[in-house]
Amino acid sequence: MFLALHEMKKEKLRYGLVIGVILLVAYLIFILSALAQGLASQNTNAFNSWKSQSVILNKDANGNLAQSMMTRNQVETASESNKGEIVGLAQGILKAGNARQSATFVGLTEKSNLRQNVQLSSGHWNNNDNEVVLSDKLKDQGFHINQKVKMGLSNEEYTIVGFAKKAVYNMAPVVYGSIDDWSNIKGVTGDFVGSGLISSTKQSTTDGSLQVLNKKELFNKMPGYSAQTQTFLFMIAFLIIISIVIVAIFLYILTMQKLENLAVLRAQGIPSSYLIWNTLAQTVLILIIAVLLAVVLAAGTALIIPTAVPMSFDPRLIATTAGLLIVTGIIGAVIPMRIIAKIDPVSVIGG
Amino acid sequence: MQKLELKNVSKVFGAGTNRVQALDHVNFEAKAGELTLILGPSGSGKSTLLTILGGLQQPTEGQVLINGKRFDNQKGKTADAFRLDHIGFVLQSYSLVSYLTVKEQFQLVDKVKKTGNLDIQRFQEDLKRLGIEKLLNKYPGELSGGQSQRVAIARALYANPDFILADEPTAALDSARVQEVAELFKNIAQKENKAVVVVTHDLRLRAEADRIYQLVDGQISLEKSN
Repeated sequence: MFLALHEMKKEKLRYGLVIGVILLVAYLIFILSALAQGLASQNTNAFNSWKSQSVILNKDANGNLAQSMMTRNQVETASESNKGEIVGLAQGILKAGNARQSATFVGLTEKSNLRQNVQLSSGHWNNNDNEVVLSDKLKDQGFHINQKVKMGLSNEEYTIVGFAKKAVYNMAPVVYGSIDDWSNIKGVTGDFVGSGLISSTKQSTTDGSLQVLNKKELFNKMPGYSAQTQTFLFMIAFLIIISIVIVAIFLYILTMQKLENLAVLRAQGIPSSYLIWNTLAQTVLILIIAVLLAVVLAAGTALIIPTAVPMSFDPRLIATTAGLLIVTGIIGAVIPMRIIAKIDPVSVIGG
Repeated sequence: MQKLELKNVSKVFGAGTNRVQALDHVNFEAKAGELTLILGPSGSGKSTLLTILGGLQQPTEGQVLINGKRFDNQKGKTADAFRLDHIGFVLQSYSLVSYLTVKEQFQLVDKVKKTGNLDIQRFQEDLKRLGIEKLLNKYPGELSGGQSQRVAIARALYANPDFILADEPTAALDSARVQEVAELFKNIAQKENKAVVVVTHDLRLRAEADRIYQLVDGQISLEKSN
């Protein structure tokens, strides 16, 4: 550490630039991770807020809960061996005066357990038919409590009685209402009673017309979800690889520049393990400084970023990404450490 | 008495038509209290001889003895530890770490060699003797050639080695400084009872030497011995 600290103290500009470049890459990774998580949560927030693990839905819906419709018979058969709750999803347009907003209606039973984990930001849960609770994202669009709205294919008016947090499903804000209102909004006849059965445990079915999906499978079946998350994952993975290459290139150049010095130190009997340890310590120090500064920068960005930008700065995600960057960055030090291990002092002295 | 010897040492590089005999059955000795010069033109094998003496490479044939014990068969960490404890190198260039101040050059020795270094009193005496006591906070880049060389000598002495091996220590110095360094080495050898071996083609050092070897085309001959 002695050599590492003194070198960085003396060569402030050189190491400042190295830290600066790694900081920018780390910052970009944090922003992309936040964006990936933010966009993913636009698909999954509502389902996650229900704390559910599995869903039974109509096989013909191809895994798309909003497109699924289950008959009373199907629900009764499935309920015999499962403790799922019936939900009805309908994608449609929320209308209030001249305002139009794409939304996903989620019809729940009055005593639904799914509600228990959803937090309201204002108002209360719907206790009667024709009452709805909107995603609090819609507050920004001018929707307010006691306002009358229309939804989907229904001509009835619904009264807004509350706003819920994290109420977004498949990129659209959620409108919670009663399961009875779902039929009208979806425009289906009385034989269909909902979209699927949702449970916080594993479910199974022997009914060939139904399908069971766990949470991950359900998300991956959402249109665009898988392509979007994998694209971000690849971008982040490539950026991490780029950061390893950057660390390796910088450390290689810096090591080559001081090779004569290191060879003399080896000649004087300073063990290569001491020099290698210093290089490793220097790498870790550079990475920690760069990543910490990037975290500060990302935290600053989180404070000023407009709410319309779907970024989610989750401290756990940032801490994991930061740890990953530091660990993988150390791989970049392998080449310089190998060079140091193989330094031949004779190359400097001659002979 | 500390003694460094080469017994019938040869060093061959390459093979076939690329074969180069750098040292040819060299016999050599350097004793504590003496300044030993190895003189020879460029390419005569001086640096090869020095690196073999310092355990940085092994001879193709023959033995290196330190106080009568074989040293040429030591490798890796054992050789590193021996060099750190017993041999001080003073090199023509790059001797000092560019990003450490003069004071930190000595601290580095403390970091890797925890015991046996000079005590503060002897260290300060050396600094005064070498005229570098006011340079402690300077970086090597802020020193003249002569000052750098004196700091390198002080650094080598700080680890309190038995043997000092110097490679062309006067190459960057003017005549006045050459005399100064020659007297310094002589002084170190005599007052501190160390074996000082200087490899050079600078004939101006001859007057101070106790023992002089001539090395030409890998063959050595003793020119002067006290």
